[in-house]
Amino acid sequence: MSRWFAFRAWVAWVLISTGLNCVAWSATAATADDSLGRVRRAQVLRYGSDAEGGGPYAYPDPANPGRTTGFEVELMGLICGSLGPVPVLYQGQWDALLPTLAAGHVDVVINGYELTDARMARYAASRPYYVYQLQVMGLRQGAIRSFDDLRQRRPDGKPWVVSVLGGSAAESFIRDQGLDSIDLVTFNGATDCMMAVSNGQSDATLQDLPAARFYQPHYPALGLLGPPVGKGYYVLYLRSDDLLLRDALNGQISRLIADGELRALYEKYGIWTEAQAELAELATAATSGAMVQESRRGLDLLKQHGWTLGLAAAMTVFLACASMPLAMLLGLGIALGRLYGPGPLRWLLTALVELIRGTPLMLQLFVLFFLLPRLGLQLPALVAGVLGLALNYSAYESEIYRAGLQAVPVGQMEAALALGMTRSQALRRIIVPQAVRIVIPPVTNDFIALFKDTSVCSVISIVELTKRYSILANSTGGVVEFAAATAVLYLLMSVPLSWLVRRCEAHLATDGGKVAAS
Amino acid sequence: MSKIAGSPMISVSQLVKYHGESRVLNGIDLEVHRGEVAVIIGPSGGGKSTFLRCLNGLESFQAGQVSIDGLRLDLSLPESTRQARLAQIRRRVGMVFQQFHLFPHKSVLENVTEAPIAVLKRPRAEVEAEARGLLERVGLADKLSARPRQLSGGQQQRVAIARALAMHPEVILFDEPTSALDPRMTAEVLEVISSLASGGQTMIVVTHAMGFARQLAHTVHVFGQGQVIESGPPAQVFENARNHITRAFLAQAQAA
Repeated sequence: MSRWFAFRAWVAWVLISTGLNCVAWSATAATADDSLGRVRRAQVLRYGSDAEGGGPYAYPDPANPGRTTGFEVELMGLICGSLGPVPVLYQGQWDALLPTLAAGHVDVVINGYELTDARMARYAASRPYYVYQLQVMGLRQGAIRSFDDLRQRRPDGKPWVVSVLGGSAAESFIRDQGLDSIDLVTFNGATDCMMAVSNGQSDATLQDLPAARFYQPHYPALGLLGPPVGKGYYVLYLRSDDLLLRDALNGQISRLIADGELRALYEKYGIWTEAQAELAELATAATSGAMVQESRRGLDLLKQHGWTLGLAAAMTVFLACASMPLAMLLGLGIALGRLYGPGPLRWLLTALVELIRGTPLMLQLFVLFFLLPRLGLQLPALVAGVLGLALNYSAYESEIYRAGLQAVPVGQMEAALALGMTRSQALRRIIVPQAVRIVIPPVTNDFIALFKDTSVCSVISIVELTKRYSILANSTGGVVEFAAATAVLYLLMSVPLSWLVRRCEAHLATDGGKVAAS
Repeated sequence: MSKIAGSPMISVSQLVKYHGESRVLNGIDLEVHRGEVAVIIGPSGGGKSTFLRCLNGLESFQAGQVSIDGLRLDLSLPESTRQARLAQIRRRVGMVFQQFHLFPHKSVLENVTEAPIAVLKRPRAEVEAEARGLLERVGLADKLSARPRQLSGGQQQRVAIARALAMHPEVILFDEPTSALDPRMTAEVLEVISSLASGGQTMIVVTHAMGFARQLAHTVHVFGQGQVIESGPPAQVFENARNHITRAFLAQAQAA
């Protein structure tokens, strides 16, 4: 017994001391109310950026692809140059950079992030380092000559299809215009939009001017059409209590503006515009709290945006439910071909399965949506999405079916043949119905996984649940609220499915023949 | 019983079958007449089951020929002709397996009606009525809607026999039909087979049940090392075996 008490005492001591440590730690975190001190001590400033967003912000250096370069990368170098710490780039997913900041993985985020009220409500913003404008890009020989042309519908009465970077200033600019002459399509990358216009899938794209200027040479068919529109400010974002660090960074930006280094940098990247003159006067506007609006939180936020999340959930259900039956059918065909087909077919199907299983779904969707048009086959995004998911999953289903078919005892085929059935009759009436029963659990498992994999379709501009979540979380800052709601929606899909399949399995176990009899 | 006259319904000559390198059937010659009950006995590994499976094409062979009801199978047939002929043969030849091989996803009645409907394209109502009769004949009229796994081994094998009968086969091949059964269930299955035999059903039975073989057979063939080492009426084979392998085998079977 005494040992037991000793053990309990030890446990209590561990709990109390870790508890105290936590309190002490959070106290230091709170009192040393700024990362400035830590940055100075560590001599490292971690900044979040996403090289996928590309040039001219941050992108792999063509001369040395292992390095990242870009005007923002160089800007961080200039800012840190006289401040002391070494800037270290933290590569993150663009639309997850602010949550990354909040979670403490980085000290600052710089990646073409616009100054918005919603973001300022939750994060501290630096003074602007760039005045951006938005540029329409479209076919040089096309009907569009400037943004104003997009305000009326196409000559055939349909709206213009305009692609934008999801969650970007261009997206909110167009939404704020409230134009019914524009059908907005969002992509995850600036160049995806330009590719869609080159392919003829979109009529135009609205881009931040720096990106438009940087990438235009890669898309010779595209021109910068008309004068830039809109206007906004790129700022650095920091955690809301990191005011000392922010002020230190602001001081450096002011210095770079004043001594012309910033202008030299922008001219080097070809992104200097007359609008930048405004930068010098913007110091106070951006740093005053006056622009901060009371933003909604919690249930209010969900009530306001919940319906768009519901619509996106419906899209997820559609994608999964449309592609899974296709995948199962294709998979069964592949499995039968591999088990019972002639030699060359077996070889071909085996290679196909390896190809599909061995490459990422994202890449397959990319090929279907962006590269097939170059071969003359243009698939609408939804068709490409359903097809891509079906194709991808068919490879996995075929392996499951193959195992299921092989699990049916050889004697079943022999008995069927001995009764005079042909091979295909035996497969159809005897072997496949038994294999289907065997594979129900693993196929269901895949179906549930498919629900979540539909999120990859966002790369080809389909807005499903996960994409809508990240759009909402980024534009409103309601990360926790929307994450919870999204999780609940996914569970609402998968739990009934599991239940349904359990019932179905029980039913087949007792009364399978009625289902199989044809 | 005396040997049935006329030309044989099944005739096998010089049948050779390899499993990989080993020669499982080593030049089999054998004839079965209409209405005859031929029983094949012999030590394990003698090629008895393989022989049966060559008759309905579940196994291919490397030399010799098989002729059933005038339908000839040999190596000269091109693949497409072979498949067509196998289809004809299989409609005339029923098979009952040691492990039953009932279709587990179908009811007892569906197991019996499956082939006549799918293969012979006969109307379902007619086939079902007949199947009920067959199942009654094997003593399972009360199990029509049961699943195979709800039945005992003996019951399953009786369903398998009804399933074979539903195709009105000219001949039924029994491949050790009672080897997977305990003695009580063995008795109920043998009873069914005996009643078929006395009804004039042509059959070839591979079995280890010696008493049954002796009582049922018109002709007994003893297989050993891939050959027919002795054939004759049961009285002769069991009492007066000429071959020493036969005598050794029978002595061992009696001891067991």
